[in-house]
Amino acid sequence: MQIHASVAAPVSATISKPLQIAGAFLLGIVILYAAGFVSTSAVHNAAHDMRHSQGFPCH
Amino acid sequence: MLFRRLVLYALLVGAVAGLVLTAVQFWQVIPIIQSAEVYEGEVAPPIQGGADHDHAGHDHEHDANAWTPQDGLERTGYTLLSNVLTAAGLGLVLLAAMVTAARSSTTTRIDWRHGLLWGASGYAVFWLSPALGLPPEIPGAAAASLEARQLWWLFAVVCSAAGLAGFAFGKSPWRWASLVLIVIPHLVGAPHPEVAMFADKPPEAAAELEKLARQFYGATAVANAVFWLVLGLTSTWAVRRIVMSNAIHD
Repeated sequence: MQIHASVAAPVSATISKPLQIAGAFLLGIVILYAAGFVSTSAVHNAAHDMRHSQGFPCH
Repeated sequence: MLFRRLVLYALLVGAVAGLVLTAVQFWQVIPIIQSAEVYEGEVAPPIQGGADHDHAGHDHEHDANAWTPQDGLERTGYTLLSNVLTAAGLGLVLLAAMVTAARSSTTTRIDWRHGLLWGASGYAVFWLSPALGLPPEIPGAAAASLEARQLWWLFAVVCSAAGLAGFAFGKSPWRWASLVLIVIPHLVGAPHPEVAMFADKPPEAAAELEKLARQFYGATAVANAVFWLVLGLTSTWAVRRIVMSNAIHD
């Protein structure tokens, strides 16, 4: 019976570290866009007080 | 996996900083917003033969029938949620920048002084620079079109981030020249309405609102300084743990 010397490489080894950091950065930008910039009424009303106090342009 | 660690730590750091921010806001920022909202519906009677005040620049395109959180616990809850989300978003950006800096740094020491510096930089980039051109507004204030202000806000943030990064991490002896970038959005100038901030309000309401607007500027400056202090220090703790787990190098 043959024993495999190595198991499958962990996911982290397949995606380079700089790419993972860039991914985290982009996810942060997307979250900030949704919370601070999206002008849909419901999103605006929910985030209203945060936008005013964090200095995001509002209304 | 580094990505997963960054996201988990950003959520943790965002929860702490967002909670602290909500507490500070609840004490000194929210009361000003609520005082200003009392006047929001008030409109001055048209002056005979006077200018048409319909175009005060405040394009309120939001649907009056749209869902709005109930005042009280619900509204505070959504503000807390928005604060935590925003803090997590800023935390992801900050952690990504700090880990990138740690990867290219020759020293492995990261301590609270780094936290203070990163926090101060975040405050300068995401609050101070845009606020110098577009002071945080209280509800009811006239302002230029939303798109123009959002674009300038982005312009101010990107320029000050690039300027600070070039100065801090540049290798050339001319690296200080990148600080010029920080000034450019302010030379271009932020978009402002042609009318006074509260031109459409009765004079006594306008005077009261102008006082509130000044208080609001100061209150948000303090709230955001506390917020960035917490975000900078907790992010430093997170980056130390990520570096110690040896996850940042290939």
